[in-house]
Amino acid sequence: MQNVLNGIPLWWYLVVSSALFCIGLYGTLARKNAIALLMGVELMLNAANINLIAFWRYLAPASSGGLAFAAFVLVIAAAEAAVGLALIISIYRTTRSIDPEKLDRMKL
Amino acid sequence: MTIQQVLFIVIALAVLGAAIFVVTTRNLFRAALMMIAAFFGIAGLFVLLDAGLFAVAQVLIYIGAISILVIFAVMLTRGMQGMVPRNSQATAAAVTVAVVFAVLLLLFGPLRLTLDLARWPVISLFAANVSPRDVGGIEWTPPGQAIPAVPDTYIADFGRSLVDLNQYLLPFLLIAFLVDVVLAGAIFIARQRRPAEIVEDRQRQAEEETEEAEAMRRAGVLPGAASLPEGAVASASDH
Repeated sequence: MQNVLNGIPLWWYLVVSSALFCIGLYGTLARKNAIALLMGVELMLNAANINLIAFWRYLAPASSGGLAFAAFVLVIAAAEAAVGLALIISIYRTTRSIDPEKLDRMKL
Repeated sequence: MTIQQVLFIVIALAVLGAAIFVVTTRNLFRAALMMIAAFFGIAGLFVLLDAGLFAVAQVLIYIGAISILVIFAVMLTRGMQGMVPRNSQATAAAVTVAVVFAVLLLLFGPLRLTLDLARWPVISLFAANVSPRDVGGIEWTPPGQAIPAVPDTYIADFGRSLVDLNQYLLPFLLIAFLVDVVLAGAIFIARQRRPAEIVEDRQRQAEEETEEAEAMRRAGVLPGAASLPEGAVASASDH
């Protein structure tokens, strides 16, 4: 018993978005460059969006809740990118480096 | 195999390959370009899910705006591009990610654990007599049933639900406010400050440091309020 649409079961989408989320998580945790780190965050947000739309299509296509939340995720991603990149450019201007490991000026 | 299955597999492999390239490559510019490829693939997945509106939004917002922003940031921080792509925590990160992926596969994958929530000790108090249909007042499609087609007017419904007080008007307004604040903040953080402003900042810091320094600087180079920029520059070069 599972939800299948056009021959594609729902769990295919869930596995793809899990893999995309994990790749983005690795990028966020393991990169040595703040911009690459933000790219990882974007991939994670996209994985969440795939999940939201897939659940909307398979479980509740008549309601617009899934679409609304996917739209909110889209807007949050844009806001996050704007602020994150502004911070990175500002940090680069003052320290000439965007390596997150070297940005420990606020450490006690 | 249906044509949709073939399309899904091709697109999914392309997206995952591009994403792996994004997080492993040394060249940031190539990473940004491959990120655009991954976004295109995700737009393809949205088309397969009958959400054409979101495929278009994906192309417009992610590829049209966010990628361009990222590429601009890459170009503005030139000289940071040839460095080692991994930091010192990369091995720990890889292990963590592998564990997370294994857990997610156990939850969602083909051999997924079937969680009968109604049998769990505490959750059964809440879930005993609840069918999926009751959750959130939404008409869920139960497993095994034919999935209804997306209504033709889904874009109009979606638009109406965003301005409907009983649905998503409040989050919509909140998110509009958030975007306003965020854009103003981004401009404030990233703007190029005029030299005079930086000098004023440093001057203020210096004034707070010691009484002697303040007295000396006042006696030395700040003749009057009218010629503040010149005086400020001079005091900064003293500094």
